[in-house]
Amino acid sequence: MTKVNNRKVIDRFSFRELKANRKMNFVIILSIVLTCILFTALASIGGSLINGTQQETMRQVGVDRMAGLKFVLPEDYEKVRSDSATRDVVYRIIVGDAVNNEFRNFSVEINYAGDEDTAISQFCDPTTGRLPEGYDEIAVSTLVLDALGLPHELGTVVPIILNVDGEVSEHEFKLCGYWKGEKVAMAQECWVSKAFADKYAPTLTERFNTLEHPVYAGYWQVDFNYTNSWDIEGKTDALISRLYDNRENAPDVGINWAYTTSSVDGDMIMGCIMMVLVIFAAGYLIIYNVFYINISANIRSYGLLKTIGTTSKQIRRMVRTQAVAYCAAGIPLGLIIGVFSGKFLFQAIAASMIVYSTASYTINAKLLAMICLASAAFTFLTVMISCRKPCRIAGSVSPIEALRYNETNIHTKKREKKTRKVSSLSVARNNMLRSRKKTVIVVLSLTLGMVLVNTLFTVLKGIDMDKYVRSLIVGDFVIMHDKVSRNGDQNAMITPDQLEYLNTIDGVREVSPIYFRSGKLSFHDEPLVRLKTLCDQYADTDKYGSLANAKENNSIPTDIYGITDDVLNVLEPTEGKIDPTKWQSGKYAIVNTYYLDAEDEKGELLYSVGDTLTLSSMKGMDEDISKDFEVMALCEMPYAICTQSYYLFGGQVIIPESAYLEMTDNRNAMSVMMNADENRFDDVDTQIRYMTDRSDSQVIVKSKQTYLDEFSDLIKMIKLVGGTLSGILALIGILNFVNAVVTGIISRKRELAMMNAVGMTSSQLKKMLMWESIHYAALTATGTFIIGFLLDNVILKNITEDLIFYTYQLTFMPILICVTVLLLLSAVIPNIAYRLICRESVVDRLREN
Amino acid sequence: MEVLKTEALTKIYGEGESKVTALDNANLSVRQGEFAAIVGTSGSGKSTLLHMLGGLDRPTSGKVYVEGKDIFTLKDEALTIFRRRKIGFVFQSFNLVPTLNVYENIVFPIQLDGNDVDDKFVNEVIGTLGLADMQNRLPNQLSGGQQQRAAIARALATKPAIILADEPTGNLDSKTSQDVLSLLKVTGQKFSQTIVMITHNEAIAQMTDRIIRIEDGHIIKGGEPND
Repeated sequence: MTKVNNRKVIDRFSFRELKANRKMNFVIILSIVLTCILFTALASIGGSLINGTQQETMRQVGVDRMAGLKFVLPEDYEKVRSDSATRDVVYRIIVGDAVNNEFRNFSVEINYAGDEDTAISQFCDPTTGRLPEGYDEIAVSTLVLDALGLPHELGTVVPIILNVDGEVSEHEFKLCGYWKGEKVAMAQECWVSKAFADKYAPTLTERFNTLEHPVYAGYWQVDFNYTNSWDIEGKTDALISRLYDNRENAPDVGINWAYTTSSVDGDMIMGCIMMVLVIFAAGYLIIYNVFYINISANIRSYGLLKTIGTTSKQIRRMVRTQAVAYCAAGIPLGLIIGVFSGKFLFQAIAASMIVYSTASYTINAKLLAMICLASAAFTFLTVMISCRKPCRIAGSVSPIEALRYNETNIHTKKREKKTRKVSSLSVARNNMLRSRKKTVIVVLSLTLGMVLVNTLFTVLKGIDMDKYVRSLIVGDFVIMHDKVSRNGDQNAMITPDQLEYLNTIDGVREVSPIYFRSGKLSFHDEPLVRLKTLCDQYADTDKYGSLANAKENNSIPTDIYGITDDVLNVLEPTEGKIDPTKWQSGKYAIVNTYYLDAEDEKGELLYSVGDTLTLSSMKGMDEDISKDFEVMALCEMPYAICTQSYYLFGGQVIIPESAYLEMTDNRNAMSVMMNADENRFDDVDTQIRYMTDRSDSQVIVKSKQTYLDEFSDLIKMIKLVGGTLSGILALIGILNFVNAVVTGIISRKRELAMMNAVGMTSSQLKKMLMWESIHYAALTATGTFIIGFLLDNVILKNITEDLIFYTYQLTFMPILICVTVLLLLSAVIPNIAYRLICRESVVDRLREN
Repeated sequence: MEVLKTEALTKIYGEGESKVTALDNANLSVRQGEFAAIVGTSGSGKSTLLHMLGGLDRPTSGKVYVEGKDIFTLKDEALTIFRRRKIGFVFQSFNLVPTLNVYENIVFPIQLDGNDVDDKFVNEVIGTLGLADMQNRLPNQLSGGQQQRAAIARALATKPAIILADEPTGNLDSKTSQDVLSLLKVTGQKFSQTIVMITHNEAIAQMTDRIIRIEDGHIIKGGEPND
């Protein structure tokens, strides 16, 4: 077979055609530029956010390595180092904790930095001075110095009370280096010398998991990287299998959760795919549309080419070559504008949120290159996929048809048309109907864009700060012992003295103590049957014997809460109704039972309303009293005021304060819920903190306001990003509309001239074109309302139903705004476009083929 | 009675070296009921002349009077309205509105004017042109000859002062050309219409009352009515 070298001719012709068609080129390139801007801007915002949060989370976690082995021996370190998959392996040796009273607000760890890079990997490399070498040298963060009230000066004596696995000793170190402490870090690091570590925490030989009583000092913490951060969990799993024949002997591993790709979970992938698809769809719609219209407009010239012997394949190649040329022009421009607008937008976003350091969020050259490359590839792909169908249409054109082509020729099923009175409106309607396919494509693409905008807006609007905060806190303030909040220590209590102080605070509306003690919930009758069924059902998951115990004793351990009426009011029962008068009698209880390994939530409900339960205090605490209560309602104790710790299989029984106080003489409260008078919030806050901030106080306060403040930054950020995204999508939708209208007019230049020639005045023509646009707008609005309603009300509502920070609200605000814009544009665009084509005389336009 | 008259009509395209005088000082007069053919080679300026007679294009200098009215004193919008009331166009490529059926196309200019259709007259026109059976068809379902007949009907429907036909048979085979032209002539006589037609086909031109010859923008013969 002879290979004909005609590529050059085709390519040259493609470019000639391009040059001849400047107006159309502008529209197409503009749409490519827009798509590219969308991708690039989003990628750079997303990139900086992901990278920034990753950096920040790393600082919080305190290490930048991807994974680590915990409490291991030097031999394990060597093993990891010699493995081919790992990189940048570092270790540190655990010495102990600093327990000076000044450090009660944060943890301070004492370690020895084994490798050169250890300190750097932990963000704890001295910026002034160096790491310790001498026995009594220490390097600490400025936060540690500040807490101790010491100057930031090398050589300063640093007093440290060291706790090595329970053995406490006091030391005086000489400061040899310091760095700026990270407030977000979970623990502050103090580096000591090898000599010091050897003395107090000599390297061990016994494996950590064989110890009967765990000690930590002397074990090595080994952190390392892989070549990339994809599926760190899986890689670590494989590593452990490689290094340890027997899994039992394998040390604990830590995965740095700062890496968003550390564990590959389905939801995340789905989310990403959805996001990419949305953007892709937006780009596809606009580009497809433009190409489709462009090819309709040029169909005669394709027909002409065919009559002179151009093959389908060659025509397809021409269109593709043109698409590539458009990309070459549009993508670089899009990238530049995209990167800058992304940067600009990100600055706006960053300004509204509390970032630890903006430095974490800057895009480095490598990331920028990746973003540009990805955006360029993505845009190119979108263009190539978008023009596939139009390519085929151009290629499959029959020469004769094409020469005659005036859009009517596509699939008119009707042979006859009823006669109606002709007006601008009716002609417009006929024009819409004549190429139904085009109308449908335009309307559908506009609709999809609008629906996306609307749904996104609905999602953003539904984010409910109050609902979220309610899940974290009840009332205006919750006061609780630090140990309860941090460790779930159930014996740490708020004393009657403290309660009294709280009661005297000015501006307080109510002070509601929540009393707590552990107890036992005994089953009989119907609930007992349910208990046994549950125990049997999950018998194989019962590793710790809690089910077996429950079955044997007909009881489960339970939290007993005594609450006031104010607290009763904040409870939201899942079953049953709260009756305050009955409640006063003290014979009723509100109950919740749970088995943490259960799959079916209903199966955990052992009680129903009306059942009787027997409550008794645990042995060894107070005297052993038992009392029966009738179940009034089923309800979980709100997390903010409960012990914040759970049994594997247990219950929560809530009874009136009076009934509780009858059971015990202990008047200590576990937590206190407080409400302030309106406008006295800050006042009350100050007074509560007066108590909690005293150095001997171990009571902490959580206020609704702090949660609101914390959350509002996040919300602002989400809204800004989401708003930007929906704004860009709306813009694309609107441009798509403009595009469709303008190209629709330009491509019918001759037809419009002909109508003008037979006596349709410019104003009538403009009116007709306006009606066409209004039809598009109206059809789009209708489509958007219908699809948007279904999508929002059915799908979105269901998805968001269980979210604690979301209250679904149906909204059509964005559609209304967009439709208004579309209608306004319908009035303006046809006018402008028509004026544009009127630059050529009627005669010239009539002559054009 | 003189329906159409031009005075020193001149059209110059371009400037400097690329300057082309498409029409040079053309004087022409057409009487009521005349059927005149403008004949010339391609590029002779006949289309330019016709376009200007119909007010589609404006001259560089000179005047066109239709029923005594100097049409280029009108602004574009008014000129369009004048055109749809006083001038019927028949184009080589038929130029029917693709989304309207035959009947709608025929009455399109009337309805654009917001006037009621004189059904009796229009039906007569449709009948004369043999379009009665295809009134509800869309243009793309008609043959070329049928489309041109519909275009002629459209031109007649407004009872214009003058019908301008630009190579009306240019896209038709010779048999159909003869038919269409006969119809044009017959209907012109029947409705006593003035028709000015461009053609380069001598045989076709011979069927008319008067032949106006044009060469290089000059009317060289037949500018005044035969007496």
